[in-house]
Amino acid sequence: MNPRRALAVARKSLSQFRHDRRTLGFIVVMPLFMVVVFGFTFGGSVSHVRTLVVNDDSGSVASRILGNITGDTLDLVPATDLAAAREEVRLGRAWAILHFPANFTANVPLRTATVEVILDGTAPVIVGAVLGELRGAIEATLAGSGAPLTVQRDYVYGSEDTRSIDAFAPGVVGLAVLMVTTLISVIILVREKGGGLLERLFATPLRPSEFVLGHALALGTLAIFQSLVVLAAAILIFQVEIVGNLALAFAFLLLFAAGNQGLGIMMSAAARNELQAIQFIPVILFPSLLLTGVFFPLEAIPTAFRPFSYAVPLTYAADALKGIVLRGWGLGELGLDLVVLLLYDALMLFGATVLVRRQA
Amino acid sequence: MTVPKGPAIAASRLSKRFGPVEAVRDLTLEVPRGVTFGLLGPNGAGKTTLLRMLLGLARPSGGSAEVLGNTIPPRSVLPRIGYMPQELAVYPDLTVEENLALFGRLVGLTEARIAARTREVLELVDLGARRGELVSTLSGGMKRRTSLAAALLHDPDLLLLDEPTVGVDPELRATFWTYFRDLTAAGKTVLITTHYMDEASRCDLVAMLHRGSLLARDTPAAVKTSTNTANLEDAFLALVRRQGEA
Repeated sequence: MNPRRALAVARKSLSQFRHDRRTLGFIVVMPLFMVVVFGFTFGGSVSHVRTLVVNDDSGSVASRILGNITGDTLDLVPATDLAAAREEVRLGRAWAILHFPANFTANVPLRTATVEVILDGTAPVIVGAVLGELRGAIEATLAGSGAPLTVQRDYVYGSEDTRSIDAFAPGVVGLAVLMVTTLISVIILVREKGGGLLERLFATPLRPSEFVLGHALALGTLAIFQSLVVLAAAILIFQVEIVGNLALAFAFLLLFAAGNQGLGIMMSAAARNELQAIQFIPVILFPSLLLTGVFFPLEAIPTAFRPFSYAVPLTYAADALKGIVLRGWGLGELGLDLVVLLLYDALMLFGATVLVRRQA
Repeated sequence: MTVPKGPAIAASRLSKRFGPVEAVRDLTLEVPRGVTFGLLGPNGAGKTTLLRMLLGLARPSGGSAEVLGNTIPPRSVLPRIGYMPQELAVYPDLTVEENLALFGRLVGLTEARIAARTREVLELVDLGARRGELVSTLSGGMKRRTSLAAALLHDPDLLLLDEPTVGVDPELRATFWTYFRDLTAAGKTVLITTHYMDEASRCDLVAMLHRGSLLARDTPAAVKTSTNTANLEDAFLALVRRQGEA
């Protein structure tokens, strides 16, 4: 292994990016676009859900509960007739009905009070929002009335102000690094293979391992640059809070990027041209988007699919990044992620070294 | 200049098969040091496959070969070999000098030596004024000249040039041949593949390949005499006919 030759390859790739402003722009703009789109769509909570209220309660508890439903999540609209309210839901003009029966207040001390919630269940997010708001209001109402049960929240990490975007911003950085390092690696290799460049390089003393290491260095540098831009955008635009050590987060991103470019080189063995190379986009994107806990926690993935989640490297990279950024974790808590990513790197870089020589 | 002993290239019963196709057949060939050696034959004759085997880019199916005294693959002598492939093997999205610097670093030249040699070789291929431009913005001929400059940069002992004069105008082609002569006079060996038979007359020695087999290896004049022909193209056709009859 000659470091000077590996550095020559890294320098070559970085010079290529420097001259190719459009690709450089894509590398930065694509993840920024992802953060902005996901930030505005997933990041905000549900708001202005039209909810009809049929309050037949002769006492005061129902009114107090309704008074505790504040904020803009639900738009409470009083209704007098339950049947007419149901028709509104049926016609899609309202998402839910909160029905407090006549003896509601009287039944509270007897522990038989029931709120009837009638829902359009076609949007689980809205169902969750309606039930969540109602539960919160009931808790708040009963807490002040000497009820036997209260819920006290104590956050180990995060707070009640933690938003979805805070939770997924670190994962989006991982996802962006995955897409860029893998795809650019495939495309670079396919281009070099097609133009006889790979053959020309290996007609010099350059070894396959030096070529792979050089590319890993170049794409790792690119990944760090990209992550800096995305994190800066997350902090400046969405006020995402970073709790942990950013240097450690970047170290994990480098580790992840190195494995990804190896994966890209291996994939390029199966692609004869750039058109075939871009066919790998869905192969990489969908499992990484849906199975890895970037947007949904692994617990939200059906048990039968979880083994697939554990087989996707982004699961570990995203876990490490979230652990560092959101929880302030250090290496002590990230042992498994570190070991898996090191193994990923070893396997991918070895595979790439073997396959790159055969492609020359 | 003292020329080291032993041939620059010595191939013995070398062959290469791609499935049912035999690209190089049982080829025994010697290229002495300090000569311009033309490897002639039409497309598909096996010229490029032979060069790829000599560089260690393709594994022979049979036989053996030595390059600058090293058995192939010739890893240890690669820094002493300059290679210009038939394809345009320079980076279009790098400047001319960035391309040269890359290949210079890969063969182990120092940065100072790269700078000095870049000036020299770009002057030779008449690209000095375009050194800072992206290769993608150059004409086809200029791109080929950049590729040749990259092969010459490290002043190699053995130059393997695969169709180096394709797309190069006659005036510059004449300059190249003069330079090849200077190189051989300094003890270097230049192996050129070409399908331009008339151009091959400028070589000290030629070898003619047809469908992977060697038809003849001699001086251009001797090949013409032995076939009783006036030029190398007719000589080649006569040899192909003779091979068919045999």
